[in-house]
Amino acid sequence: MSSLPLGIRIGAILGRMGLRGRTLVIAIPTVWLLIFFLIPFLVVAKISFSVAAIARPPYLPIVEWVDGFFRINLNFGNYLFLLEDPLYVAAYLGSVKIAGISTLIALVIGYPMAYLIARSEPDRRNLLLMLVVLPFWTSFLLRVYAWIGFLKSNGVINNFLMSIGIIDEPLVMLQTDFAVYVGIVYTYLPFMILPLYANLVKLDEAYLEASADLGARPITTFFTVTMPLSLSGIIAGCMLVFIPAVGEFVIPALLGGPDTLMIGQVLWNEFFSNRDWPIASAVAIVMLFVLVIPIMLLRWAQKEKPNET
Amino acid sequence: MSEVISTSDARPWTDPNAVPFLQIKNVTKKFGAFTSVYDVSLDIYKGEIFCLLGGSGCGKSTLLRMLSGFEGLTSGQIIIDGQDQAGIPPYNRPTNMMFQTYALFPHMTVEKNIAYGLKRDGLPRAEIATRVTDILSLVQMEGFATRKPHQLSGGQRQRVALARSLVKKPKLLLLDEPLGALDKKLREETQFELIKIQESLGVTFVVVTHDQEEAMTLSSRIGVMTAGEIVQVGTPREIYEYPRNRFVADFIGSVNIFEGRIAEDGESHVIVASPEAGLDIYVPHSISGVIGQKVAVAVRPEKVVISKDDLGDLRNKLIGTVDEIAYMGDASVYQIRLDNGKRVRVTQTNLTRSEESTLNYGDRVNLGWDGSAGVVVTS
Repeated sequence: MSSLPLGIRIGAILGRMGLRGRTLVIAIPTVWLLIFFLIPFLVVAKISFSVAAIARPPYLPIVEWVDGFFRINLNFGNYLFLLEDPLYVAAYLGSVKIAGISTLIALVIGYPMAYLIARSEPDRRNLLLMLVVLPFWTSFLLRVYAWIGFLKSNGVINNFLMSIGIIDEPLVMLQTDFAVYVGIVYTYLPFMILPLYANLVKLDEAYLEASADLGARPITTFFTVTMPLSLSGIIAGCMLVFIPAVGEFVIPALLGGPDTLMIGQVLWNEFFSNRDWPIASAVAIVMLFVLVIPIMLLRWAQKEKPNET
Repeated sequence: MSEVISTSDARPWTDPNAVPFLQIKNVTKKFGAFTSVYDVSLDIYKGEIFCLLGGSGCGKSTLLRMLSGFEGLTSGQIIIDGQDQAGIPPYNRPTNMMFQTYALFPHMTVEKNIAYGLKRDGLPRAEIATRVTDILSLVQMEGFATRKPHQLSGGQRQRVALARSLVKKPKLLLLDEPLGALDKKLREETQFELIKIQESLGVTFVVVTHDQEEAMTLSSRIGVMTAGEIVQVGTPREIYEYPRNRFVADFIGSVNIFEGRIAEDGESHVIVASPEAGLDIYVPHSISGVIGQKVAVAVRPEKVVISKDDLGDLRNKLIGTVDEIAYMGDASVYQIRLDNGKRVRVTQTNLTRSEESTLNYGDRVNLGWDGSAGVVVTS
């Protein structure tokens, strides 16, 4: 038996522990998610139920051993506070609004681009996709910073518009919601284009021809055939833009104004300025649940896939 | 419904005064440097089932796509029912197409698929409903209205695709390999149904196929295409019995070709001296050739008689050895090797039931064919 290769012997040992090939393959990502997602989540959840204190760490423990009593102190006050102070509700709504509108704009811009790439010559597609992904080679922070240079009062856009005489005074673009939309749409556009492209490139041209043959003009064909058949791509793209956009912190911090209210900034402030970890954690947990709803929607949409021919 | 046009007795193409319903005039299509369709001219009459037959890449599908408007013409003209189709987009043409892959919309039910074209015409809801029901019963798919395409079998999808393309009552129905995706048995059944439906509606069909059997059963006339050109147009019988050239003879069915030269060109017969056959072959039709011209004689395998006994007074007689026997059930195919090495293919119907073949490998046999069996092909 000892003459067997090491790999086979390890396999046999693991097999006795109930870990055979398929189980092992599934086990690795499961363990990964457990360590890097579930445990941190539980830590944050735990902090969200504690009380802030000037200490290190800056919160009181939720389990105590006092005079022979094992006490669990669950403080729901942080969650109640989120409801009491209108700032938080407004910040959630603001985030959802900004993320939602940005997602729609990204869809309107991204769909034609994805469609064009999917319908171009196969050997040109890779080049075009490359151009979509190319900006990612530069740091995200730098790219957002670059927009300051474009949008500020004496920035590229204002200088250009004034030099050709369309405007006399610089437009106020930086530190407005407009700048935040520009930043989010610009940053997340590739996340819209790529899943849409992956979907549209599989769309059989025969469907479009059949539609035209049956008397539909191109615009009708788009709304009755192309769009319904690419629905799963639309949903995937929208989720990929919407979910990170809701929690976006850097873009509103750099491009947004004082009245741009997004939950990411609130969280940042609670955590680093106020050092109120329990409130910050509660904000994070609620945000997670705000996002779980669209994720469920995404899963549902992927299950309902009749794209069989 | 509408007038019944029987394809068997109506032969409008023989009537010099008949006006063709579809005129294809000198149509050429180039993709870059590649010529897909070259100078094709065809007249197709109302109520015909016209088959474009050819191998893959012969340009038949491109021609069909030009009729439906998916491809533009490099030069030439397409006239449907007196109307030049130049510049008319697919959605305004009086044609409908049944796609090779059926192209049924996967996100719509059978009903919605069929109603799609009617809705685009803005017909009232009630009329759409009746027409959908009518066409579904015509293709015997009444019970499947609310199914999605992926819940149907191949044959059922084929029927839905046919229904969808017919429901708008097009002047011209274009069918791209309509039976290609079906298995052999289903294909044979469907062929006859397709003819019945076509006859009951009186719609003109243009069918593209690479399957010669399908073309033979379906069509009133066949246009054989190769390398972008039409080589011969005729009824299935004309194409089979009188192939114009070697390509057609070979493409439709199987054939024995004997090379030779014209030895005698009479009023109503030709004699071709064929060293390959070791025989002066008698063909009872005249051709416009000169003595000594290189030609070939094509003889269908089922027209060759084979026997161990003397064949009597047949015009063309040979002797050979049985080389191979393939028993197919209804018929047997023999490969006979002549003494000069040339192999001749012979098909014989198995008329009687017997356990043993009457002919065996290595048997010396007489073979021959009647004068009328051969046809001279010049190129």
